[in-house]
Amino acid sequence: MKLRTRTRSPRRGARVGIAAATALATVAALAACGVGGTGGASADADTLTVVVEGGGKAELQPIADLYKEETGTAVTLVELPYAGLYDRISAELGSGSPTFDVAALDAIWLSAFADGVAPLDDLYTDEVKEDLFGGLVAEAQVNGAYVGMPVWTNSEILFYRTDLFEDPANQADFEAKYGYPLAPPTDWEQYRDVAEFFTRDTDGDGQVDLYGTDVKGAVETEWLATVSQAGEEHMVLDAESGEVTIADEDHKAALDFYTSLLPFAPTGAAQLDWAGAQNLFYQGNLAMMRFWGHAYRGTPDDSVVKDSIGVAPMIAGPGGVAGVPGAWYLSVPRAGAKQEQAKDFVQFAYEHNDLSADTSLGLVARKSAFEAKSAEAGYENYPALLDTLNAPQTLPRPATPEWQEIVDSVLTPMLQKAVEPGADNAALLEDAKSQIEAILE
Amino acid sequence: MNGLETRGKTRIVLWALLAAALILYGFPFVYLLLTSFKPPLEAISVPPTVLPTQWTLENYVSALSREGVPAALVNSVITAIISTALSLMLAVPAAYAITRFRTPSGRVFIVAALVTRMVPTIAVGVPLVEIMRNLGLTDTSFGLAIAHTTISLPLSIWLMASFFEAVPDELDEAAKVDGCSRLQALWRVVIPVVTGGVAVTAIFAFLASWNEFLFALLLTSIRAQTTPIVIANFQSQFGLDWGGMTALAAVYSIPVILLTLLLQRHIVAGLTLGAVKG
Repeated sequence: MKLRTRTRSPRRGARVGIAAATALATVAALAACGVGGTGGASADADTLTVVVEGGGKAELQPIADLYKEETGTAVTLVELPYAGLYDRISAELGSGSPTFDVAALDAIWLSAFADGVAPLDDLYTDEVKEDLFGGLVAEAQVNGAYVGMPVWTNSEILFYRTDLFEDPANQADFEAKYGYPLAPPTDWEQYRDVAEFFTRDTDGDGQVDLYGTDVKGAVETEWLATVSQAGEEHMVLDAESGEVTIADEDHKAALDFYTSLLPFAPTGAAQLDWAGAQNLFYQGNLAMMRFWGHAYRGTPDDSVVKDSIGVAPMIAGPGGVAGVPGAWYLSVPRAGAKQEQAKDFVQFAYEHNDLSADTSLGLVARKSAFEAKSAEAGYENYPALLDTLNAPQTLPRPATPEWQEIVDSVLTPMLQKAVEPGADNAALLEDAKSQIEAILE
Repeated sequence: MNGLETRGKTRIVLWALLAAALILYGFPFVYLLLTSFKPPLEAISVPPTVLPTQWTLENYVSALSREGVPAALVNSVITAIISTALSLMLAVPAAYAITRFRTPSGRVFIVAALVTRMVPTIAVGVPLVEIMRNLGLTDTSFGLAIAHTTISLPLSIWLMASFFEAVPDELDEAAKVDGCSRLQALWRVVIPVVTGGVAVTAIFAFLASWNEFLFALLLTSIRAQTTPIVIANFQSQFGLDWGGMTALAAVYSIPVILLTLLLQRHIVAGLTLGAVKG
């Protein structure tokens, strides 16, 4: 057997060695930090690190820029995907020495992280509380302490096609059929009438190609808004008493209304989520949709309905107008090394909340910031958001650490079953009640 | 029916199965590629279209010009190279020692190494965050590469051990007769024989780091953030930039495809190593 051996000239060996050493030195130098610029853990006294969800970075950037200008403290915004932000914050708070000084938290996480963040009670003066929506103030309070300061808030509002609603032929036909003028609907009955009216075959090929509305089965928040519209004071459960309310009459009425819209919506409701519904609307397949208010300012240029979108407050049920507040809060880790500086930034963000109105999302949290822009062109969504967020029945989701689990393992699967033909809503709600009780045990 | 006809039919069935498998595995990537060339609205149209009605590079331009994307691509390369190098540096001697010395402790070690793969990654997340912070390695490519090595090392050891098993001990003995030490025998005689196996292990380690998400999410912020995190950022709570996401994912898959093509010869050799023993 002949062994394979290598012969290498000394000069070639030296060249290879030098090249390898250079490459290793370069990689090692880059590896010592990374190439993404400065930032990360803010050991430096003149810096603050804020972790924020991808879509929210743009909201905070103008505030961070002004803070640097006025105080000299640089604020590094660490952008993380929504899908992983919860795990990251959870791991860091669990480790006892977080690398961030401030975290932007989704409202539904507040109760889960309440023990790991510092109370901000001193920031909640009467003046502050008066300028925030009631639902947001209530949501920020966990176990008697304010654990976050709202930095922007969203809510579902009504989007509709102005070209369809303002068409004289549609107006005449609608009034003739339903006995009242065609206008953006304000309650359940009107919404169902309008949805039925616009569901039609527009090109005469025998196939329905325009639907009155969508029905989302893959996300739960729209149904929760419907629950509040029905008059329910404790959606899904009463967080204080622990009583699970999901099988009561208001929830049943909400689910019945929600699924009664299925004949006027495209098929495939069980898989329809926010992105899918939004796209159906932008493609011109829907006459109306209930959607998050920020979307008004972000209509794609290539949408066929770009110049014919109107907005109105969320519809009312027997209990009145209601949405679900979709707020984000700035919180300060209890174990953070720069708590005072961090609180100072949170207060600064509140005071300059209006700066976020000019960002790509264009969402703010204070009533005064909404009101200041309400009359401006391009901000037609603000009055609709104000009306919806100010409505007494616009209630926050229950403050329970298990909320995300309840959504993922009970509410969404239940809705997906409810939008299937022949579903027994009462039985589904009873089943959901048992599952939630098991989770809370 | 004669044997020739039977063989012909068998071949047709095999080719049909191969074609089906190719379509099954290849279609998602082809769809991703096609979607990356669609205008943003068409990229998320309901129902979806397979072929773009209008071809555009708009998604590539917007994705690559997005803040943090070029740096993340460089960080991914650096992290994957370091992690691959660390995996090989540790797995090759470990596997060689286990297969050559065949001690009971070696057998326990190799089984224990595999057991670490059974622990859910998220379970070690919190301790890892703390360890990296204490070592001052948070938000560094080196720290992330070490974390990635914990994922790839156990299987790298197993892979290399299987390749070393296929090399007869007589080869080491012959090297020793020629004056080599144990390490020289490994470096100059055995490793050249298992080059294909080393290539397979390197690709495995590289891919494990290249695609890893959770440790990158927990251990990096800005300086060392890798591309999987940036790709995930295309979906926020306020919307999904599906076109941009597919464009960056397509760009991100190019180095892996090139690496696989470059090492294809070695991979085939590695996969067949030990299939025929002489």
